Amino acid sequence: MSFLRQFLALLRINLEGERARLGSVLTIVVGVTCTVAVLVSMLAMGTGARLQAQGDVHDDEAIVQAQGAQGFDSNISRDQMVTLRDLPGIERDKDGEPRIAGIVFVPFEGHRRDSGRRVFFPLIGSSDAKFELRPPAHLTEGRLFKPGLHEMIATNACVGQFDGFALGARRQVHGVDWTVVGHYDQGQSLECVVLTDAETVMSLFNRNGFNRISVRLRAPADFATFNRALEANPALKLEARPAREQVEADMKQFNGLLNFVSYFIGSIMAIGATFGAVNSLYSIVDARRRELATLRAIGFGSGAVVAATLAESVLLALPGALLGAALAWLLFHRMAVSPFGFSFRLDVTARLAEIGVAWALLMGFVGGLLPAQRAARVPITTALRAT
Amino acid sequence: MWRKPGRTVLIFLQVSVAFVLFGVLQGLKTGIEHAVQAARADLLIVHSRQDFIFSGLPLGLLEQIRAVPGVKLATPVELFGSYYQKPENGMLIVAVRPDKDWTDAFTFAVAPGPLAAFGRSRTAALVTEYAAHKYGWKIGDRIPLVSQVANKDRTTTWAFDIVGTFTDSDFTPGRYKILVNYDYYDQARLSNTGTVNHFNVAVTDANLAVPVADAIDRLSSNSSHETKTESIRELAQQQVQQIGDLDFLVHAVVSAVLAALLFGTATMMMQSVRERTPELAVLKTLGFTDRAVFLLVLVEAVLVCLAAAACGLALSLLVFPFAARFVSGLTMPPVTVATGLALAVALAAVSAAIPAVRAARLQVASALAER
Repeated sequence: MSFLRQFLALLRINLEGERARLGSVLTIVVGVTCTVAVLVSMLAMGTGARLQAQGDVHDDEAIVQAQGAQGFDSNISRDQMVTLRDLPGIERDKDGEPRIAGIVFVPFEGHRRDSGRRVFFPLIGSSDAKFELRPPAHLTEGRLFKPGLHEMIATNACVGQFDGFALGARRQVHGVDWTVVGHYDQGQSLECVVLTDAETVMSLFNRNGFNRISVRLRAPADFATFNRALEANPALKLEARPAREQVEADMKQFNGLLNFVSYFIGSIMAIGATFGAVNSLYSIVDARRRELATLRAIGFGSGAVVAATLAESVLLALPGALLGAALAWLLFHRMAVSPFGFSFRLDVTARLAEIGVAWALLMGFVGGLLPAQRAARVPITTALRAT
Repeated sequence: MWRKPGRTVLIFLQVSVAFVLFGVLQGLKTGIEHAVQAARADLLIVHSRQDFIFSGLPLGLLEQIRAVPGVKLATPVELFGSYYQKPENGMLIVAVRPDKDWTDAFTFAVAPGPLAAFGRSRTAALVTEYAAHKYGWKIGDRIPLVSQVANKDRTTTWAFDIVGTFTDSDFTPGRYKILVNYDYYDQARLSNTGTVNHFNVAVTDANLAVPVADAIDRLSSNSSHETKTESIRELAQQQVQQIGDLDFLVHAVVSAVLAALLFGTATMMMQSVRERTPELAVLKTLGFTDRAVFLLVLVEAVLVCLAAAACGLALSLLVFPFAARFVSGLTMPPVTVATGLALAVALAAVSAAIPAVRAARLQVASALAER
């Protein structure tokens, strides 16, 4: 009890004196602010990309691809597709037709509006357009493509980012003229995606199989039923994953790289800021040698002094953390970026702010350890005698 | 300066750490720029105009390309993915035709012995040293690779005999690559025979790269397989653009670090001068001029910051091999070192300016009276 009373009294004395030591206090606050702002903004890239990718995923959909396929390189034949249609667990429409779509990807090139830079993005051929345009995705303008006519629809993101996606625009793909007949929204995504009919793409590019198959299940829980049936047919050599897991797997490498870079830079900055904090706290403690010695002389325990100095350090790091997270939010939240050819918005979430604050508290705690020890070890007699 | 060694050491460490970050980020940037410049401008890639390497070009184009004036060497290349034993162990198969001097049209280097052996056998293969080491492959081993391409045996497993290793000096060299014989591959595959992903073309003179590229693209204009010909330097430049706002990122992080640092060093110098007020007053009494005292304080700050910056830059060199996992060829050219040291001096000057002026204006009588 007396420890707690002593601790609180000391903490109050410490904090009331902060105004007199503005320089040292600012060093800690600014150091922590910069570190947290950089860490949170950089992590916001990964979070933003992930949120966007996951935002439009339906929980009741699953993706089928060849066993061990990496990325989009699997080849699933029409025969395999026919077998898949009869597997249990798949949702059926009122005519009893299974909700299943074969997908082919072909990259094709576009030029950025702002810089003229060339970017490759996917032309997606789907065997079932209605499957792809499931709400919240919807047509906003024009009409759906007709099979066999070399027609395509593009997301509204394409129109803003790239040349040649106006309604009625003609584009060359594989030596054939294609017409943009409609625009659609995917939901949240800022990605440019161009959609057309699978058979048209397959005959033009001489493909005889799909890259992936999407299925809609009766309910998310039916994935187990579907997967068991798929695995019971080893001749198929196919594997299924819930769509959400598949998106996660597709993004793993990209996010891994982003997170590594973020934490690498964040750690180095944190080490630097901690050194700054140690230095400032040392000078605060040194400036108060006589005061501390007096307090010890009138009966304050050294444990309370250590605790109070540590608490002071942590409390000084806190405003820096909040300021840094706020700065990242003000400057970058919802800012659209397109590094690595992806387009997405940065997302400064509460979770990231928490990470920033935790990071700052750790800096404050580690930075306060040595100075707190020195504060407690002030030799009472010599300190009182000193000028 | 050594009145409070703890403080000097801490400031030294803080500045060092900041310059480690500066060194790594700048090294990354200049390393990439350097790699782009080093990419060969005389090596052209002829690929399909609409969809890069995903749809095949007819092999017949090869003779036409060879006839274009300025072309030294042209050779077909087929790329396809595969894996060894487990899907996680990806291997990129590069099928090439071992004609005379074929390596001149690639960024690969092969020793003469394995090179000759590669040309002799249809199922011969060269692998990267990294992959050979990781999977314990030795010369003479026959390795099965599973791909998505079916062969005439109706399986997707391909077996190759390892005859040696090669090194790749490409802008972004893959660590898991295997070179195999294109003609063997083309004849053994089930479909798409007679097509090729792209052609590699070496030109006689790098200055001819643009006219030669245009001439090659004219060969197939208005056909169903229009081509686009680019040098690997152009491709490297585009890759760098894809990474995008690297410059912005580096600048933002470095400014944030320096801003934080400035406060640290500035408060340190202020305190150090304040504590030494009597000392400085004594110096002045002894006849040191205002300017001398001003310089004394400034030089002290510059020395600490310069030494710390140099130490930080040296330390960042140690981080380079680690960062090479993501980008190869990180470098620290003299200009980075110079910029870093200049920044350190500027940092010291700004943070020591106020205390130095204060020290110079010190009134001897009042300063001594404070004691």
